[in-house]
Amino acid sequence: MTENSSSPANALITARGLGKHYGTFQALSGIDLDILKSEVTCLIGPSGSGKSTLLRCLNFLEAYDEGEVRIDGQLVGWQDGKASPRKPVSATKLREQRRQVGMVFQQFNLWPHMTAAQNVAEALVQVKGLSKAEARDKAILALARVNLRDKADNHPSALSGGQQQRVAIARAIAMEPRVVLFDEPTSALDPELVGEVLNVMRDLAADGMTMVVVTHEMGFAAHVANRVAFLDHGKLVACVPPDEIFRQDPADPRIRSFLQTYRERNVV
Amino acid sequence: MELDLFIRYGPALLSGFGITVLCWIVGSLGGMGLGFLIACLYQWSGSWGRACLQAYIEAVRGTPFMIQLFILYYGGPSFGLLLSPVQAGIFGFIIYGSPYFAEIFRAGFQAVPTGQFEAARCCGMTEWTIVRRIVLPQMLVSITAPLTNFMIILTKETAILSVVTVPELLFETQTMAAETFTYIEPFLALSLFYWAMVEFTSWLGRRVERHVTRHQNRQTP
Amino acid sequence: MDFSFQVISHNFPYLVSAARWTILISFLGMLVGLLLGIGICAARLSHHGWLRRAAALYISFFRGVPLLVQLLAFFYILPYAGVNLPATVAAFLSIGMCSAAYNAEILRGSLQAISPGQREAADALGIPPLALWRRILVPQALRIGLPSHINELILLVKVSSLASVVGIGELTRVAQNITGQTYRPLEIYMATAVIYFVINALIAWGGRRLERRLGVGQR
Repeated sequence: MTENSSSPANALITARGLGKHYGTFQALSGIDLDILKSEVTCLIGPSGSGKSTLLRCLNFLEAYDEGEVRIDGQLVGWQDGKASPRKPVSATKLREQRRQVGMVFQQFNLWPHMTAAQNVAEALVQVKGLSKAEARDKAILALARVNLRDKADNHPSALSGGQQQRVAIARAIAMEPRVVLFDEPTSALDPELVGEVLNVMRDLAADGMTMVVVTHEMGFAAHVANRVAFLDHGKLVACVPPDEIFRQDPADPRIRSFLQTYRERNVV
Repeated sequence: MELDLFIRYGPALLSGFGITVLCWIVGSLGGMGLGFLIACLYQWSGSWGRACLQAYIEAVRGTPFMIQLFILYYGGPSFGLLLSPVQAGIFGFIIYGSPYFAEIFRAGFQAVPTGQFEAARCCGMTEWTIVRRIVLPQMLVSITAPLTNFMIILTKETAILSVVTVPELLFETQTMAAETFTYIEPFLALSLFYWAMVEFTSWLGRRVERHVTRHQNRQTP
Repeated sequence: MDFSFQVISHNFPYLVSAARWTILISFLGMLVGLLLGIGICAARLSHHGWLRRAAALYISFFRGVPLLVQLLAFFYILPYAGVNLPATVAAFLSIGMCSAAYNAEILRGSLQAISPGQREAADALGIPPLALWRRILVPQALRIGLPSHINELILLVKVSSLASVVGIGELTRVAQNITGQTYRPLEIYMATAVIYFVINALIAWGGRRLERRLGVGQR
């Protein structure tokens, strides 16, 4: 792909020439990526390769320095135009853009002073302007989708890590976003709790939710993703269907050596 | 001990106590509000704004309350600020307390993990909604104890208001002592009043603390 | 509004020389507060129940009553009891007695940070309690609590202004006197505030240097 390549018609998010640096450290450079509607895209790669940074650029939690991210053709975070240096969009505009993008974090980031249902309902009331009763009904529905209906009135401190992460997923999907970003959603969980979270994510994918997932769960990437993007040292090495990554002899030596560590542990 | 002294001076002592409590409550609530504003501004301003706020905090914390009161009360008229003693007392209290409150709130902001802010921003909440609904309720857990502590310190600082002739508790007590040439009884009464204020404040602090931490130990099987 | 720098420059020397008394009172107050504080802290941690209770009572009284009230009571009651001290001495004694309560609590916190193993080691070597306190516990505790003690000293510089109320010619009192002659309260009190601020900034700066020299926080 080149910087000017046109994006497929069913692309929801397009990144072109995306770059981000912290001081002199180049965290990302020249990323061209399309996120297609109703597809699951997994971002994999060694730690420090820029996966999470890339994900956080997509909803402008990190302000990218070069290139652009567009959702439905609309530039995210920066004002469109030729001005240099670029000016950030207004706070109102940014909030509007972020409402289209749900996010699930590694550390769940639930609000500890609210129950599960209140966590889910909060943004429905404060951002979407629903009444408390409507928001609660919707929250219960969202919690039912992650199989946590019966935990609606528990505080996060009374839930297991896997349950907390499922509440966080319910919080994201209740806003009816067009895409949900997952930032290593199972990395902070005990191994026996990983499965319940992945199952919920698999159901979401089956329902046609557009998802971008940074993960170390190669099984999930291999079996659920439509496409897998491999990053190394801030560069996108490949973005292809999973078979091409997880076959016995991947084309790129960087992918081969990365997967080797997993093969040795019989994960794939 | 001569009880008729207290019957004679009781009303004056009580009115002094009332003014002490008034200055203390209005002044410290105002200081809390101003301190909260400063902490919020600090949270969302650039390095220049932060330097200015820091300078204010250091200037107020580095000078005696009495001098601040003198500047307000005696110096105020020089720039067109004419205050009654009680007004000067309340106003002075607000300024004197604000940097300490600001530091407490700032520490409270820092105690809320960044992830909490990010999760709220990702839902599209405004910064004010985030402060009101996400940050403040959580921050209350960590700031209740230092807030109570500082409120207790402030109860004692009210005594200094007597120097600018605010007719508060110490002022009335001194009047009583000077007029009756008794010292032990008035100062005993005075100590009781302060003790009551301190006890009341720490009782209130404990109640608030129980209330704001209630979600922490609620375990449902 | 007319702000006259001339008034300030004329009277600045008087203010600066009065600041010496502020520094003297607060530093001597701190000295009394530290020495007395060590004793009260030791009493607070003593094996004897009555000593512990007396120390606790001392601490809660001196922390619970406004310092201005303590100062006034001290000045009213001393002559009553037949004790005649120079006013300055009475002032720093009173400030020191109050500060002792705070210093004792700071010390108590610092002592908790010293591992009990050290005490056991000293016991095993047969070191007598007084030597244990003087040579082992107190030096370490003062070092651990140094930032808090510096804070206390800064606080004392500020509260020394209260001594003006009982007529001691320290900075605040001299500023009041000058104001009485010049009718320029804004200028004089602003200048006074600056002097207090500089004294405290110097103490804070010196404290940070001392902390670095002693390696506080990186034991």
